[in-house]
Amino acid sequence: MSDDRFFEKLREDAQPLRYEPDDFMVTRITARVQERISVPTSVSGMLARWFRPLAASMAALVLAASLGLAWMERSAQTTAPSVESIAANNPVEISVAGDVYSVNNE
Amino acid sequence: MAFPGSSDLSSDLIGGVTTERSAGATRGDDPLERRAIAAVRQGDPGAYDYLVSKYMKRVVSIAWGIVRNAHDAEDLAQEAFVRAYEHLPRFRSEEPFGPWIYRIVTNLSLDVAKHRTRFRHEELTMAEPADRRDDADLPAHRNELAARIDAAIESLPEMQRVVARLHLVEQFDHAEIARMMKLSEGTVRSHLSLARKKLRAKLADLYGENDE
Repeated sequence: MSDDRFFEKLREDAQPLRYEPDDFMVTRITARVQERISVPTSVSGMLARWFRPLAASMAALVLAASLGLAWMERSAQTTAPSVESIAANNPVEISVAGDVYSVNNE
Repeated sequence: MAFPGSSDLSSDLIGGVTTERSAGATRGDDPLERRAIAAVRQGDPGAYDYLVSKYMKRVVSIAWGIVRNAHDAEDLAQEAFVRAYEHLPRFRSEEPFGPWIYRIVTNLSLDVAKHRTRFRHEELTMAEPADRRDDADLPAHRNELAARIDAAIESLPEMQRVVARLHLVEQFDHAEIARMMKLSEGTVRSHLSLARKKLRAKLADLYGENDE
């Protein structure tokens, strides 16, 4: 057998020597790698994670309240006319001894 | 190329994973691998699972072949994947990931083996022999022929042993071994040539004498 043929045969026969990690080892390594590459949570990060949704909720509430107040003010203005506008639109007429007197702004 | 959401990408990648050993794909012909590397670079660590799953078995086997201890091989594989992750921004995405992670784990394992050799030498001089090699870790399915080959490879000097194991057991070619061990191809061929002569002598009863 030539040297080259010997080495080829040896290469074929040596393949079973590969080490096969079991499933537990594979799982352990995968979990540890993931654990080590995950970004550690800092205090500020943790606070931010809690604060962000809280701040978003508060902002939504404030916005809703502002819009509600603005709408109420506007509707109050349109539904409750002032005394002057009532007087202007509805002139008061008073009859005294056959004479008719009118009351308005002028 | 647009990427879907990170969780979708991770599950997509893991769903389509093939181990490097079964696929035999050490070349950069895996689009999922390129997507995983790009996703990790964009801040999705979950996408790294694809690369870990794909190369895990081979990486552990390389480490075990050098340090011959399951616990150390496990630690080395873990360390290699973490270091690869940390240096991924400097990794050239057009290159395949396999040779790179193999080089990392080979170098880490060689460092451990060298440290252990020095440590063992110190212990031996103190008359306290310490054999860190764990025979219980040896693959259970090995037959007698494989056991003889394993013993012959293990009897070689360190560099010849590592090169021979990478070539014979892990099936890497000369160029791949040269890249992994930061050696020239000529040096790898030289180590293999010396290893071949010694192995031939040790295994003469199995393979016959040289008839050339």
